[in-house]
Amino acid sequence: MSATAIRTGGLALRRPALTRRASALVTLARRRAALTAANPRQIAVPLLTPILFATVIAPALSKALGGLHTHIDYIAFVSVGTVGLLVPLAAIFAGLSVIVDRHSGAQKELLAAPIPRALLVLSNLVVVLALATFQVVVLIAVAALRGGIFHITASGVAWFVAASVLFTVFMYGVAETLAARIPRQEEYIAATPVVAILPFFFAGALFPIHVLPGALAAFAKLLPLTHALALMRYGFVDHHGTGLHDIWGMSNTTTEAWLSLAVVLLFAAAFIALGIRTFKRSAVS
Amino acid sequence: MQLTYAQDTEFDRPAIEVRALRKVYRGGVEAVKGIDFEVAPGEVFGLLGPNGAGKSTTIGMLTTTVVPTSGSARLAGYDVVKEPRRARSVSSVVFQEAVVDSGLTGRANLDLHARLWGVAPAAASTRIDELIEAFGIAELIDRPVEGFSGGQRRRLEIARALVSQPQVLFLDEPTVGLDPRIRHELLDVIAGLRSRHDMTILLTTHYLDEAQQLCDRVAIIDQGEIAALDTPAMLLAGLGDEILELRVDGDGDAALASLRARGIANTDAFAIGSSLTIALDGRPAGETIAAIADAGVKASGFMTRPPTLDDVYLRLTGAPIAEAA
Repeated sequence: MSATAIRTGGLALRRPALTRRASALVTLARRRAALTAANPRQIAVPLLTPILFATVIAPALSKALGGLHTHIDYIAFVSVGTVGLLVPLAAIFAGLSVIVDRHSGAQKELLAAPIPRALLVLSNLVVVLALATFQVVVLIAVAALRGGIFHITASGVAWFVAASVLFTVFMYGVAETLAARIPRQEEYIAATPVVAILPFFFAGALFPIHVLPGALAAFAKLLPLTHALALMRYGFVDHHGTGLHDIWGMSNTTTEAWLSLAVVLLFAAAFIALGIRTFKRSAVS
Repeated sequence: MQLTYAQDTEFDRPAIEVRALRKVYRGGVEAVKGIDFEVAPGEVFGLLGPNGAGKSTTIGMLTTTVVPTSGSARLAGYDVVKEPRRARSVSSVVFQEAVVDSGLTGRANLDLHARLWGVAPAAASTRIDELIEAFGIAELIDRPVEGFSGGQRRRLEIARALVSQPQVLFLDEPTVGLDPRIRHELLDVIAGLRSRHDMTILLTTHYLDEAQQLCDRVAIIDQGEIAALDTPAMLLAGLGDEILELRVDGDGDAALASLRARGIANTDAFAIGSSLTIALDGRPAGETIAAIADAGVKASGFMTRPPTLDDVYLRLTGAPIAEAA
C-alpha cells in the first residue's frame, strides 16, 4: 500500500476565469455530443428528413404546383424553407435530453460543479448549432445535386449563416425554457408540434407569405422564422429579396435584410437569456 | 493503496460551519428550522433522521442547490450563498439516487468530473487510475455505466467524488436501496474513506447502524431541528450500559407513567405503543422485572441488550426511525 499526498482546495478556481469557462464549455459540449451522437445511427437518422425533403418533397411539389412562376427556383425555395423544420426539431429534441438529464442523468453532478450554471445551457446550444449546421449543409448540398438552383456569394453566405445561427439560438432558447418548466418528457413531447412544426406552415416555408390571407400574413410577419427564412433565401436563392419585400414592403433590400436580422437577433437574445434564467431558477429551490 | 490529503485551508477553521440555517419552501413548509453545527476538518459527521426530517434540504443548502431562507453556511470558509462556486470547488457530492451519464463509460464519468473541477489532465489521469484500482472497478471502467450493478455504480460515484480530492465530501443516503450484501460492501468502502486524513465527510442516513459504525459525531435531526448532537458513545451513554425491553398489556404510556411514579423507570424510559424501553442504570434486570410485576403491570417479552442509536432516536423523537421514514 503506497501513500500519495495530494493537495486539495479550489483547484478549479485558480486558473484565469476565461480559460476556465472556455475549458468547462468545451468539456460540457463534448459530453453532450458523446451522449447525443454516440454511434453512426444517431448521426445518420437526423439526416433522413433533409435528404427526403431535398430529393423527394421539394421536386414533387415543384412538379405538382408548377413552381413559383418567378425567377426563383422552387426546389431551392423549399429546400431553404426546410431549414425552418430541421432547426426547430433539432433544438426541441436537444431540450428533451435536458429533461432526461434531470430525471436519470448527471444534471445534479453538473450543478454541483464549480462552474457557472449558464454553461450547461450554452454547451447544449453549441452541440445543437453543430448538429443543425451539419444537417443544413447536407440539405443544401443534396438539393443542389437534385437540381436546385442556388446563387451563392460570400455576402449571401454571411446572411444565410447569420440568420440560421441566430434562429437556432432562438429555438434552443425556447427548447431550454420549455424543458426547464415542463416536468415530464410526455408533456414536453406533446408541446413539440405547436412549437416546432406549426410555425413552419405560417412562415413561408413552402410558399411566399403574400399568398396568405391578410390576417395570417400579418401574423407570419411576427414570427422570427419568417424573417430567418427570408434572410436565408436572400442569401442563397433570391438576391432581389422577394421574401423581405413581402415582410417590410420597402424599396431598399439591404435595409430590409438588416431589419429582419435585427428581429431574429432580438428573439435569439431574449429567448436564450430566458432559457438560461429559467434553467438556473429551476435548478435551485 | 492509500491516498492522503493535505489541505490548503487553515486547520483551525471548521470544514463546515452552519449558523441558524433555515429553509422555508414556497407554500410555507419549514423544512429546516434554524440549525447550528460545525464539523472539524477530517471529521465524519452524520445527519441522522427519517425522510422529511430536513437532511436532504440541509445538504441541498450546503451544495448550493437549495437557497437558504436565512442563516449562513460555509464550506472551508466559503459562504455557500455569497461564494457558491468556491464552495462547490472544495466539495463533492454522492447523491442518494443514481446521478451518472449511463450512456458514457465509467472512465468518461470520472474524467468529466476531473475536467469540471479543474484537475490538471496529467494529475487527473494518475488519480483516476489510483481510484479505479482502490475501488475495485478496473474490470468494468471502460464499459457504459448502464451495464453496472447498483453496487458497482455506487462505487463509481464515490470514486468520481474523490477525483477532485474534495475537502468536504457529502454522502447523501449512500446505501439506500441497495441489497444487504452490497450495502455492507459499501459500508467498508466508506469506512475506508476515514483513513484519508483531513477529508471531512458529511453523511446523511436513516440507518442508525451506519451512523454508529461510521461517524465521529452524529446530529439527530427531526422535523427540521437538531434534537441531539454528540458522539455516538456520548449519545448512548445517556441510556447506560444495558436496557430492558418489554411488552405490556394495554396502554404503554399509562404503564410507563405508573413505573415512573414508583421509581422503576426514569425519564430516559420511553414507550412506543405497548413496548417499553427502560434504562437499567446498573440495576440487575431480574430486580427490575420483579418490581414491574409488583407494580401490577402485566408484561411479557422481556429482553435485555446494550442500547443502540435507535434507542437514543426513539427517546428523542418518540417514534421509531423506520416508522417515521
